[in-house]
Amino acid sequence: MSIASVMSILPSRKRGKDLVAPPRKKLKTPKIFIFLCLSPWLIGILMFTLYPMVTSFYQSFTKFNLIDAPKWVGLANFHRMFFEDPDFWKALRNTIWISAISIPLRIAFAIFSAWMLTKPKRGKNVYRTIFFLPSMVPAVAATMVFTYIFNPAYGPINRFLEMLGIKEPPFWFLDPKWSKWGLILLGLWGIGDTMIIFLAGLLDVPRTLYEAASLEGASAWQSFRYVTFPMITPVIFFSGVTGVIGSFQYFTEAYVASGQVNDYSHSMYFYATHIYFSAFRAYEMGYASALAWVLLVITLVCTLIILRTQKRWVHYPNGSLFK
Amino acid sequence: MKKKGWLASFAVTAVFVGSLVGATAGAHAADRTVVVWSPYKEGNLDLWNAALKRVEAANPGLKISSVGSIDMAKSLAAINAGNGPDISVSNGAGNLGWFCGSGAWQKLNAFIAGKNGINLKTTFTPAANSSTITNGVRCALPLNSEVFAFYYNKDLLAAAGFKNPPKTTDELLAFSKKLTTFDKDGNIKTAGFVPWAGYYGFDMDSMWLGQMFGTRWYNSDGNAAFGTDSNWTKALTWQKTFIAQVFGGGDFAKGSKLLTKFVAARGDEWGTQHDFMTGRVAMKWDANWMAPMFCTGDDWAMADKCTAKVNFGITGFPVAPALVASQYGSGVVGEVQMGISKGSKNTKDAWIVLKALATDTKLAQAWDSANGAPSTLLSKDARPAKYPDWYQPIYDVASHAKSSYHLMKNTGEHQEEALLQNLMASWQAGDTKDVKPALVSLSTQVDQIIKRNI
Repeated sequence: MSIASVMSILPSRKRGKDLVAPPRKKLKTPKIFIFLCLSPWLIGILMFTLYPMVTSFYQSFTKFNLIDAPKWVGLANFHRMFFEDPDFWKALRNTIWISAISIPLRIAFAIFSAWMLTKPKRGKNVYRTIFFLPSMVPAVAATMVFTYIFNPAYGPINRFLEMLGIKEPPFWFLDPKWSKWGLILLGLWGIGDTMIIFLAGLLDVPRTLYEAASLEGASAWQSFRYVTFPMITPVIFFSGVTGVIGSFQYFTEAYVASGQVNDYSHSMYFYATHIYFSAFRAYEMGYASALAWVLLVITLVCTLIILRTQKRWVHYPNGSLFK
Repeated sequence: MKKKGWLASFAVTAVFVGSLVGATAGAHAADRTVVVWSPYKEGNLDLWNAALKRVEAANPGLKISSVGSIDMAKSLAAINAGNGPDISVSNGAGNLGWFCGSGAWQKLNAFIAGKNGINLKTTFTPAANSSTITNGVRCALPLNSEVFAFYYNKDLLAAAGFKNPPKTTDELLAFSKKLTTFDKDGNIKTAGFVPWAGYYGFDMDSMWLGQMFGTRWYNSDGNAAFGTDSNWTKALTWQKTFIAQVFGGGDFAKGSKLLTKFVAARGDEWGTQHDFMTGRVAMKWDANWMAPMFCTGDDWAMADKCTAKVNFGITGFPVAPALVASQYGSGVVGEVQMGISKGSKNTKDAWIVLKALATDTKLAQAWDSANGAPSTLLSKDARPAKYPDWYQPIYDVASHAKSSYHLMKNTGEHQEEALLQNLMASWQAGDTKDVKPALVSLSTQVDQIIKRNI
């Protein structure tokens, strides 16, 4: 509820001078003291954020191999990226694929899991903990476990599929056609962090709205479609934006999984992997910097597009934060 | 008076500055410290430091500062920043192209040919000499070898009626056919030999396959030879035929699928569950450092008598029939290398240290005893006084005239090996249908990488 709306419901006779805050006294703290207090943060952001960003921007226009001083090459790195580097396009395609598939799936799965967790009458905290736990497992460990359970020779998943009568179950991470699906399933398993946000969103929907819908004869689906869904659109919007940013930086799981198998076709080669390999395998720091800046632009554009569409579908009961 | 005062103060200042300059110059002349960075730690660092002490003792006035546990990335970054050591050691045979090609290590040709030089031919093994040179430039000296040889299970071969290991790739295929068994579901139970990218070999399976067919990595013009050397096509075609005939009953797709599953179920590399130790595979390519483990099960120390279940022998790689006379007995042999950093202020003393370490028979002997890593020196003094008979073939492969590592160019962290391995993997999975254009494309990619790194 905004201050204006609070003011509007106050009786008019109570409005007056007595409600107006006295003017603030001028701050006497010396500016130098303020800067001193801020200096650890300022130094940190200058040294560890701004300086590397400026340096990498400069290096993106150079050829830099870690040994010799950076050599100015103009737009050559960007030209190579778009016109001469098939791995760039492969990595970009893979990244767009995993974003397009995993973000909606993660959101849907998180909503479903959160909705399930609103149902138990007893032991709900235990269930919530169990569902949240996988998200606390380090990505490397989780990926190692998944490459084991999806192993086509001795992994329990394929044994189970064979028991169900599937004679030739997929080779998962060993098969370029299935490897990304293995990563998607791994991502869904660790949905706990997103789920907990949706759970908060679901619990925040006023019960009175459901009661009103029920009185109107709404079915369960209609209750979800016309009550729950609009009320959690801000959470969906938030998950979408953070999901896009996260998926464009997708690295650890793919790197570990592809290290466990021979990912010869680069089916698990993502944009962040391309940056890593360019920088630390090929030692082409200039090219890796150029890749990183293009990634920033792509992520910015995608995020802006989502931000621009929010007016059409995101419902803020108290008004949007992004006016 | 005023003039005299000026002159006096000028004289005092001149004397003071002169004495300072003199003292600095004197200190510089006396500063004969050589900084040595290595990747070694614990026991190996002790052996290394003992060798450095010997160099100091033999060269009065020379001081060596040793720093261990430094990997390649740290060395490169420090050399770039101008804070690098005088001497650094690369912890893998494949890194030479990068250290040399990027200019991180200085050219040694003048030192080698100089007054305090070294006769490489009479000092080091052929493999050591060939694998410390890139683009016609020598910027490294070898330190110790890593030897990749052919291991075979004597009992399994004898049970199949074979008294000796296969010498040719044809024999290898015939032996494997007899040694490979299938379970009731048609899956591979035991394999004779597995020519498969990704079966314990990391990025090296393709290098080992190439060695059996005498392949060349680069042409004399410096360009990649994958597309022009027909031995690459022969090697990969042989691999496909092998998979089809041994595992698929003539059907390549079937053999490839079965082998994918077989490889996925391989035992842990480090320990008694290794396929070679359990008898799941009868013959394989592998490194010298695996021999002590195959010998004793889980003990890395060299043993006189092998106590593990597997009764094995070691020999050179089987080779294409036409190469038996010239190449049989060889393997892939690479070296750990060391060089003098760009920016070293004390190259004269650095060379003294570098040469002394490379030719230190005591270091070579102690290193071999501790790690089973054969010396790169031809001198018999460089070998341990006592080593088990069963390990002798490793020395034979290490000193064979045709044993070598591929020529290393500046492809970053040996990217050409990774690209070749990808091609082999794609080929064995049936995704690459025509190998010839794929090899030509690989050559183009490698040439582009080298061109970019010039």
